[in-house]
Amino acid sequence: MTDTMKIPGTRWLWRFSALALLLAVHSVYAQNGASDEGWRLLSRYLYADAADKFQGNDAASKLGLAASLINKPPITQGKIKEAEGLLREVISQDESTDVAQYARYLLVRIAHLHRESAVTEIESGYRDVLAMNEGSAVAQIAASHLALVLLYQRPDLSVEERLASADGLAPMASRAALPEVAISYYRTLAAAAMYYGVVDQRLVTWLEAARALISADELIRIGVSLQLAEISRLLGLHEKAVGYYREFIAEAVPTDQRVNTARLRMEELEVTP
Amino acid sequence: MNPKLWGRNFAVALLIAAFAYSGSMVWKHHREDAANSEVEVIRLAHWQLEPGMREAFDAIIADYEALHPNVRVKQVNIPGRVWRQWLRTQLVGGNPPDLIEVANYLVSDEMFARYFVPLTSYLEEPNHYNSEEPDLRESSWRESFVGELVPNEAVHYYSANLLEYYAVPNAMMTVRVFYNRDLMKELIGSDRVPETFAEFTALCEALKIGAREQAKRIQPLAGSIFNTRQMTASLARVVTQKLAIELDYNHDLDLTMFEGNVAYLRDRWSYDTPVVRQSLELIREVCRYMSPGWVQMKREDAMLQFLQGQAAMLATGTWDASGILQQAQFDVGIFQFPEIDADNEHYGEGSLGPISESNTFGGVPMALSQTSKHPERAIDFLRYLTSRRSNTKFSETSNWLPVIKGVPIPQLVEAFRPIADGYIPGLSAQSFGQSPDKIYDSHVHLLSGERASVEAYVEATRELYPKAIRRELERMAKTYRETIRQKDSVMTGLYELDKGADLARSKFDIVSAKQLEVEALMLQSQRTIEDYPVDD
Repeated sequence: MTDTMKIPGTRWLWRFSALALLLAVHSVYAQNGASDEGWRLLSRYLYADAADKFQGNDAASKLGLAASLINKPPITQGKIKEAEGLLREVISQDESTDVAQYARYLLVRIAHLHRESAVTEIESGYRDVLAMNEGSAVAQIAASHLALVLLYQRPDLSVEERLASADGLAPMASRAALPEVAISYYRTLAAAAMYYGVVDQRLVTWLEAARALISADELIRIGVSLQLAEISRLLGLHEKAVGYYREFIAEAVPTDQRVNTARLRMEELEVTP
Repeated sequence: MNPKLWGRNFAVALLIAAFAYSGSMVWKHHREDAANSEVEVIRLAHWQLEPGMREAFDAIIADYEALHPNVRVKQVNIPGRVWRQWLRTQLVGGNPPDLIEVANYLVSDEMFARYFVPLTSYLEEPNHYNSEEPDLRESSWRESFVGELVPNEAVHYYSANLLEYYAVPNAMMTVRVFYNRDLMKELIGSDRVPETFAEFTALCEALKIGAREQAKRIQPLAGSIFNTRQMTASLARVVTQKLAIELDYNHDLDLTMFEGNVAYLRDRWSYDTPVVRQSLELIREVCRYMSPGWVQMKREDAMLQFLQGQAAMLATGTWDASGILQQAQFDVGIFQFPEIDADNEHYGEGSLGPISESNTFGGVPMALSQTSKHPERAIDFLRYLTSRRSNTKFSETSNWLPVIKGVPIPQLVEAFRPIADGYIPGLSAQSFGQSPDKIYDSHVHLLSGERASVEAYVEATRELYPKAIRRELERMAKTYRETIRQKDSVMTGLYELDKGADLARSKFDIVSAKQLEVEALMLQSQRTIEDYPVDD
């Protein structure tokens, strides 16, 4: 026992301090526990239950509450506005944090899909997220969503301009941090081109980029192989097409209805190369 | 006594009696539970009331209870027409059965997440009830199923949004034609099964003439909207297979309903397109052999018509097989509806050949409720139910198609075996979503009877389809938007849970990728509606 503790009354002070410390530690852990539970509930579509768990005044709790409110039934404009207010508070507290960048991203998502705003506001909102930290995972998904805005919501641009501006986001949207998002980005570029009736070498480039990243989803992998076969066929790249048909047939899942049709189309190319 | 007073007293007495009865049932239920505290009771709820199904479950339950004497498995049979309301009440009430039949159109992602247990991790473990099956004992439970439970979006046992398996299927279903052998012999002197579409229509014609000559009120085909859809769905899709490849702007040999609708508004096809008209002609050729007024008939009416010998043939699915085979007082045969192949003189031009049924997925999926008092026992019962031995018994008793690898298809329903070697389905003239389908249902009578006319159908619906297909795209865009909005919340949760570790291939990565793809579809719908306006 130290000398200080022998001073009358000090022992109680020590005990009181230790208790206070314990309580503080407990409250921090309890809050983290509640947040973890909140995130878990949110990830399982249980918005109302999650909202009850985010009652703290810290940035993470505000982000959690805002994310819960936008889908907490009944969905109202009041809740959407409240969520936007919370997200703005998070950003204003400290803009340099990861939570603040996610808050800005969610704010743009609200503007984009939860209350329909002008496309210029949405586009600049996504670009603001990118400007906060271009190398982050949040920036990667923001870039992918921005690509969709450019591909489908800018009728003032020509189809070529839409494709080129979305393609220009590749350095951010195709990063290895989120490979499945990168695959989806390349696939959506290709899908938009095909939707607009563009069939050229760019499709092969985008789909081969998606293929090279090897999706964890086998249905996506085989789907890309078959698209590459069909597009190569259209472009007159018959040898390449046959290779991709073979790849598709070898890897197709047992429930795929397309195998025989792919085989038929491959044989047509083999007969008339 | 005053009649008014008497009536009031009677009503009160009835109310008291009903209350007393309900109370006694609840008390009895609790007493049973208390008396059998050593016994684990598993309740299994489903809506499959077709003959053979309950018997099949009972047979397997008896085997399981013999193996585990302290377990009781009770079937809860609920009619399909009240299933939705019943399920909601049970789930919200907090006391649902342990195992519940589910379907993705009845149970939303939110309901799966809130009320059911994900089974993904269980399905990746071996099913120990297959330990004596050399080819299955090393496989996971999932791999023991035919098709290995491929997790695509159409199936009922997997949630593509939650990325989890929530149910275990028990049977597969296909559609075939049942025929009354005795009646066919009586009318035309033969019960030979048609092998081509031309032979099928010739058979229908011969039956019609035979019935007329013998002055009998017998139709070649029993009909209702439900049964006709079953029969004509694949038929109409066969003649448009090549068109489907042309319209498939995503170039993946899979023309979705969405792509079909987009292509329609972009004027890439219409009901004037020759092969689409041909598909309507095929429907007309079939419908003219049905009894007058079939459009108003229900599935049960068609079944009755067939069982009473008023129609020689009935197209329906595996689900009705046992009922027909048990109840028919005549010799029943089953055949696969003859497909149109590329060599067909009239309809072959747009065809590739029979449609593949390799994507036939498992039905009767059973999910585990989160409030089950004995979850491990319930899962153990599911394993037993879907072991090779039990699925063999299930299939033999119910006459439904087996769902486990290596289980033989009962000889009686061999004709239901899915076609493995076919081709992709084409564009369907009768199935484009809610609004367009209503047009089909309310105008299909124009393709039926002696004065049936494709021209009349096309003209009567010419103004209706563009608006209905636009409405369908708007509805789809709205649904996509709802899904995307929900994922914004879900992804925030996933991000915060996953960000401490490597995010690559995490759930956050996978769900974000899916959200992008759904968002692209929503934006494509909006772009199409805006760029290709339809006059109101």
